[in-house]
Amino acid sequence: MISETILHILTESAKYDVSCSSSGSGRKNEGGIGNGMPDGCCHSFTPDGRCVSLLKILLSNDCIFDCKYCMSRRSHDVPRASATPEEICELTVDFYKRNYIEGLFLSSAVHVSPDFTMEQLVRTVKLLRERYNFHGYVHLKGIPKADPLLVSEAARYADRMSYNMELPSEKSLKLLAPQKSKESLLLPMKQLQRERTVFRAEKRKGFFLPAGQTTQMIVGASPERDGQILRLTQSLYRVTGLKRVYYSSYTPVVEDALLPAVQSPALREHRLYQADWLLRFYGFDVEELVPEGEDLPLDVDPKCAWALRNLQYFPVEVNRAPLEMLLRVPGIGGKSAQKILSARRYTSLTFEHLKKMRVVLKRARHFITAGGKFLGEKNLLAVRGLLAADETPEPPRQLSLFDTPAARSALTGEL
Amino acid sequence: MIYFFDGSKEAFLTAFLLAYRDKDALLTAGSHQLALGQKSIFVPADPEKARRCETRFTELDKTCMRDLSLLLRSGEEMRGQIAFRYFRLIAERQRAVRNELAEDAVTEASECIRRVTLEAHRLKGFVRFMECASGALYAPISPDNDVSDLLLPHFRGRLPHIPFVLHDVRRAKAAVWDGTHSFSAPLEKAEVILAADETAWQSLWRQYYASVNIPSRKRIRQMKGYMPVRYWKFMPENPAAAVENLPPQPASPSESKDAAPRPHGSFRSLPEPRRP
Repeated sequence: MISETILHILTESAKYDVSCSSSGSGRKNEGGIGNGMPDGCCHSFTPDGRCVSLLKILLSNDCIFDCKYCMSRRSHDVPRASATPEEICELTVDFYKRNYIEGLFLSSAVHVSPDFTMEQLVRTVKLLRERYNFHGYVHLKGIPKADPLLVSEAARYADRMSYNMELPSEKSLKLLAPQKSKESLLLPMKQLQRERTVFRAEKRKGFFLPAGQTTQMIVGASPERDGQILRLTQSLYRVTGLKRVYYSSYTPVVEDALLPAVQSPALREHRLYQADWLLRFYGFDVEELVPEGEDLPLDVDPKCAWALRNLQYFPVEVNRAPLEMLLRVPGIGGKSAQKILSARRYTSLTFEHLKKMRVVLKRARHFITAGGKFLGEKNLLAVRGLLAADETPEPPRQLSLFDTPAARSALTGEL
Repeated sequence: MIYFFDGSKEAFLTAFLLAYRDKDALLTAGSHQLALGQKSIFVPADPEKARRCETRFTELDKTCMRDLSLLLRSGEEMRGQIAFRYFRLIAERQRAVRNELAEDAVTEASECIRRVTLEAHRLKGFVRFMECASGALYAPISPDNDVSDLLLPHFRGRLPHIPFVLHDVRRAKAAVWDGTHSFSAPLEKAEVILAADETAWQSLWRQYYASVNIPSRKRIRQMKGYMPVRYWKFMPENPAAAVENLPPQPASPSESKDAAPRPHGSFRSLPEPRRP
């Protein structure tokens, strides 16, 4: 059994990987323990509101890289530890059996060399699958600059792999993660995508990343704007075929002259996720949401903001509007839209009906009519104020260097 | 008229046949306070009538018996009446009414079903097994709805070689997988002899739970929304203690210790703000 101290050291820095989903894999149990649950499953929630689905752990936190934002960076004075593949496998199986976790999220600091680390990771997952007969979910972190052959081998055993972009531009990457480059992250992603397509087309036996790939970006550690971040996101979804892009509000865990000292606001991360959902499930294009050099508005959500800029399309009649248009109404999500579609086949819907069906009207009422009736605010100029007032205000906080030019001049006193 | 039935599918269907034409019918599987002069009847299950009723309903709506089974599992006091109103609508319209969400009877029934399936889904994550000395797994649960046997196929699929018991302590029953068969049985109290290293694994899990939390982002409301407090009592990670033991900090996450401004790199290199 792994010791509590080592477990503590190895999970302490793994927790900053936000990806926690265990969905997308329908791996069957083949006479051992565990299977995949395509909808995913959360097993616990910590007081920070995040779910615990996978056992997030590092194989080692002894790193040769020196990424400025990272807990395990070479120049940071923290206790170092490594676990053996057997210890990790035993821990995974015993936690899984007790239904503590849905699977393993295995990552590692770059220990000795990228190839060595990747080899260790592959060895662990292989051991877990073959000797421990584990068929539950495994998410494996890719190590940049590792050999392409190791990368393809890993994909045969893992359900999902991820290479973290960390920073949304090459420039910030050079500055804050000097040993990584955009190429070293994008190349293996593209390689995996290519091989996965071939694997599926040829209907080969076994698995090749059934749950696809994801990535993660730190928001607020570098000066990129939301527009830029979301453009990168959209291209990752469309070109590289990623399943998810995660955003992580920058939390200062190490001090460095190149990094801001303050926690990036959680609301910004939230708005990015909302926009991300609009890109994936609501048929929006990033061009409609935010110009490249700007941030998403904080006072209202991105869909409200879009609707307020495009009032010529509203109000829409819920009894006639097509699904694509219903999805664009602020406050109406995928489920509500489906409910409306199925209910209106039988009767003409009124606001009473919508309320009973639990369609949230707080925002939607300004943008829809039901049976010709409109319940929203007639004065269009007041709508934004009403919508913004419904949002919970962001608590007061220390200014960030990258907030706005105005904030910077307030700090420096320069005009 | 009030129709009492024992909560089983057969009894419900028998009572349905009796009550169908009664405008003021109230079907209930629980206790009910009678109003003055109100009449009541206890309807025992009649297998023959129930079978006929089931066949007819299945002709009208292929999957409505699944709805019924979920509705009757609900912990809702009025579940009998909710199911009755839903099935009366199917009988009136002579078709599946599942999608006619503008009808009260349908919204109520679908809400009720949603709560049952939601709890079953949540418990797939929140169940915590303990290993017994024999190698079998034991988990106490106390769900609002009678879902213990809905969980059986899920855990059987992932632990085919390990016998396990899901003990619904509230209803004094258990869903059991013995390695070859799965079944439900009444179970009042269970005596469990834990495996030697069980406490060590639990403490390792507590350690893990504590170290994945990011204390500077305190969001208790969100946590409780996703994992309601009523599920906490059988969790070895002890979320209640984790919430209590958080380092004291102001309510807003951004004002916490980690985020507090301190003399630091980029600020030091900047000139002091000029004061007028």
